[in-house]
Amino acid sequence: MSAPNEDNISNPQLSSNVFNELLDSIIVDVASECHRIAKLGLDCNLEEEEEELRLSAQARATVADPSNSSETNGKYIVDIFGQTHPPVANEILECMNCSRSIVAGRFAPHLEKCMGKGRKTRLKATRSSTAQNRYTRSNSVSTYSPYSNSTSTSRLPNGTSGVAGNEYSNGSLEEL
Amino acid sequence: MSRNSLKIHLSIGKIQPGSENKNGSPVYTDSGTCEHLSELRSRVGSNPFFNFRGCVKVRPLGRASIRREPPNELVRCGACGQAPPRLYACVTCAAVFCHVHAPSHPVGNASDPSLHSIAVDIDRAELFCCGCRDQVYDRDFDAAVVLAQTEATVIGSIQDPPPQPENTRKRRRVEYKPWTPDVKEQVLIVGNSSPLPSQLGNDSTTPEVQWGLRGLNNLGNTCFMNSVLQALLHTPPLRNYFLSDKHNRYFCQRKNNSVITRSSSDNGNKNSTMLCLACDLDAMFSAVFSGDWTPISPAKFLYSWWKHASNLASYEQQDAHEFFISVLDGIHERMQNDKGKALSPGSGDCCIAHRVFSGILRSDVMCTACGFTSTTYDPCIDISLDLELSQGSSAKMTSKKSHNTHKKEAESGKFSQNGRISTLMGCLDHFTRPEKLGSDQKFFCQHCQVRQESLKQMSIRKLPLVSCFHIKRFEHSVIKKMSRKVDHYLQFPFSLDMSPYLSSSILRSRFGNRIFSFDGDEQDASCESSSEFELFAVITHTGKLDAGHYVTYLRLSNQWYKCDDAWITQVSESIVRAAQGYMMFYVQKMLYYKASENQVS
Repeated sequence: MSAPNEDNISNPQLSSNVFNELLDSIIVDVASECHRIAKLGLDCNLEEEEEELRLSAQARATVADPSNSSETNGKYIVDIFGQTHPPVANEILECMNCSRSIVAGRFAPHLEKCMGKGRKTRLKATRSSTAQNRYTRSNSVSTYSPYSNSTSTSRLPNGTSGVAGNEYSNGSLEEL
Repeated sequence: MSRNSLKIHLSIGKIQPGSENKNGSPVYTDSGTCEHLSELRSRVGSNPFFNFRGCVKVRPLGRASIRREPPNELVRCGACGQAPPRLYACVTCAAVFCHVHAPSHPVGNASDPSLHSIAVDIDRAELFCCGCRDQVYDRDFDAAVVLAQTEATVIGSIQDPPPQPENTRKRRRVEYKPWTPDVKEQVLIVGNSSPLPSQLGNDSTTPEVQWGLRGLNNLGNTCFMNSVLQALLHTPPLRNYFLSDKHNRYFCQRKNNSVITRSSSDNGNKNSTMLCLACDLDAMFSAVFSGDWTPISPAKFLYSWWKHASNLASYEQQDAHEFFISVLDGIHERMQNDKGKALSPGSGDCCIAHRVFSGILRSDVMCTACGFTSTTYDPCIDISLDLELSQGSSAKMTSKKSHNTHKKEAESGKFSQNGRISTLMGCLDHFTRPEKLGSDQKFFCQHCQVRQESLKQMSIRKLPLVSCFHIKRFEHSVIKKMSRKVDHYLQFPFSLDMSPYLSSSILRSRFGNRIFSFDGDEQDASCESSSEFELFAVITHTGKLDAGHYVTYLRLSNQWYKCDDAWITQVSESIVRAAQGYMMFYVQKMLYYKASENQVS
């Protein structure tokens, strides 16, 4: 606290003193907490964590370096078995629904139409109540169209929404 | 000079029953104590701090301090009259002094200096050694403080009973012994199997590669499925389960067929077999580990999954994470039906999906007015994390870490201006932080009997065998009617220690990191390794929200592979570290084997 003769201290000085004391106190708080953590060995993983950070930074620098482009440019020559693969998979598959022969790379769009899935169709099926509850966390904001039956490369991945205040937004599964 | 208005209850000369501390607190280094403290302890009996509980003043959810009588009494140093940020009171005579005059206190009591060497920080309830001029730590002192805190803070009754620290208590751990077949078993094996083609081909064109690596054909925008399948196929406990024939698809289907003929539940379905994703997964394992290396088309799996997913309000997913959850859910549902009764997913007894991925989350809601805490436990199959931008290093250990980081940054000079990047551990810190619930979310406090502002904090009560972290990179805003993808880089470690996020650690930090055994501390001394995890798979998403691609990186025998639909290529560690992680899979480094419940003849 300040010296006994407070009458001679101006208000700005008093405010300054108070502020400094508060600041000192906060600094000691943090120092005390960190001292305890260090002394009791509660931060024993510090070095490993920093090593991981360093390795990641190094990795990013390596990848960003244009002279290392061979690995990073995503163009494949052969795979680990020495094979190559066409852009559209050409294996012939038999549809489980209609038994027709379909090219693998076009199997999903065929199956979607074949099974009658998609926006136009709703399959009537028994739904267990547990299944319904299980998905209450994320279906409220799904505005995305279901699986597109075009063969373009566009997709619409649905991520889980960041719902504030939702107790289960952390991804926990509520099991009944 | 100021009156000593502190009542320090130190039992001198009396032998008090020491507060017996349970085993199982984390391994503390011995550097917490000092010779002066040891000497004082030997002088005054087995537990000099036992009565200290009465001296401690506690604020709800606040820090412990030493009580002043009367409260708010202004206290100053007996020597200089100052009241700087630190004031100490001798634990023996309650004399108050500042840190400048602390060393002279034992000297001033020349008759018995060793009794006057230890003091307590009045505002922080920390021990200070006047001889060493340093803060020191004592197990019994900390216990007294924690007990005072728990007595003052009304701890609410736990709404859900904590899950049995389970099977670790009921079943003892056993030494792992690798299995080798006996003579009878050898005959059985040889007679009922055919060897797979040898990896060590004499043919020079035969590459020497890992078992279990096989490309998956893209069936038309199905990379979301392929990426998750690759991760599952190489999830060690899951792989071991299926390769050990624990779910034999032939037996399962045969059993189903007999069920089907009895009931007519499957209307209009050409296939008479019941849906079982575990069987389809079993088929995938067989194919992937068969030794063939031409890519597989997971058509049957897609078909089965669509049949399963369509039962859930026709919620077709194209997000890898949703697919992952959906598949595990499908496995659970089927196995649950088989077992007949509903088993708790938390223990993992219900199905292999939960056995591998399910952990238990603890949620504490604390009343800010009285400290009343309400605790609930929920199983979780993965942890979805908000991508917190620019958190930098872990907030748990505050400034020490950031100091080191800044030092290294200055030295290396290679870091970007913004040295703080987002990290997985930073996201986990954020996940387990004490969160002030908004004033519109007041929680009804059973002690206060009114709605009060509260703090909520999550922690991990039980770690799963395999931890899957999902990074929320896709943001959907119903209000703005738009969605976007967050491309920000996230650093993730290859080796991860989850202990700071355990309930015991979170509780401990809530009580100021005191030396005390908190709920959840494992009784087993070898517990530390059960919180260490190793990265084995990373699913990445590149591209835009509506035009993107999933790829999985797998670690097999310390070598990383990139699984891009049909293309399996070898990549360096750097590629993986620099990748944009969307889902990261970690497995416990040390898997413990429990004694079998079955009697083996």
